[in-house]
Amino acid sequence: MADLAELPSAPDVAGTSLDGTEPYVITAEENAALCRSTGVEPAADGSAHPVYYYVATQVAMGKTVAGVCETCRFDVEDGPMMGSSGVSFQAPLKVDHPYRVTGEILSLVRKRSRKLGVMDVLDYRLRLHDQAGATVLETTNVWVLPRKELA
Amino acid sequence: MLGAGDELPPFIIERVSPEAMKAWAVFLHDPNPIHLDVEVVKAKGLGDRVINQGPANVAYLMNMLMAAFPGAAISKMESRFVDNVYAGDRLTAGGRVTSVEGGAVQCDIWLRADGRDVVITGSATVSTCAPA
Repeated sequence: MADLAELPSAPDVAGTSLDGTEPYVITAEENAALCRSTGVEPAADGSAHPVYYYVATQVAMGKTVAGVCETCRFDVEDGPMMGSSGVSFQAPLKVDHPYRVTGEILSLVRKRSRKLGVMDVLDYRLRLHDQAGATVLETTNVWVLPRKELA
Repeated sequence: MLGAGDELPPFIIERVSPEAMKAWAVFLHDPNPIHLDVEVVKAKGLGDRVINQGPANVAYLMNMLMAAFPGAAISKMESRFVDNVYAGDRLTAGGRVTSVEGGAVQCDIWLRADGRDVVITGSATVSTCAPA
């Protein structure tokens, strides 16, 4: 087993922009389907399920999941895993309102774990803005990218 | 009114549905086959059932919080993914109040799978003075 110091370092991707290019709208129809898929009814006041913090930012960021992996020189077929996810809301999400995403990769760090062997830990931050430009939420997610070829 | 040390009423998911995973693949624009094709899960050595999307598991925790604090808003939440959730799992989303200050209720939260223990741990802040 190679020592971590002997392995090539993770690609330097910190600062890569994840700004979205297209607005994202949570439709009332999709919100209802998502709510029911988790065992609850949609709210009657026009608010969207708060888990759209993740859905909206992932869908409307400037890269697809596969694209983020490619930036990290990781094949999406090798199975990125969610490590953690955090969110801070400044306002509730609403259906049928356009939002846009800004964000960036914070870091990509190569580590060794007992369970997964060599892995890269990707940390990125996304913000969701309303039509007036106000920040509605900020989320920071960590993905684990297992580097089987280096294990 | 809940206070520090009180347990939140659990939110139960009787059976994680593979049909819901197909819907979430569309919601997330993410056709990762580990959520859709059990043969891929087996080939990757990840088990013998399709794996639920992580954000769907977060949604169960949010449902638990929204039911425990009607009319309030989740202002912050942190989730750490400890283990996979599989099709057919019975889940319990739960939590405990750790502090109450002004209109902010801090909670420890967790998602447990029957027979396998905790799959998500985390924390949340619920604002009982919900933003407009």
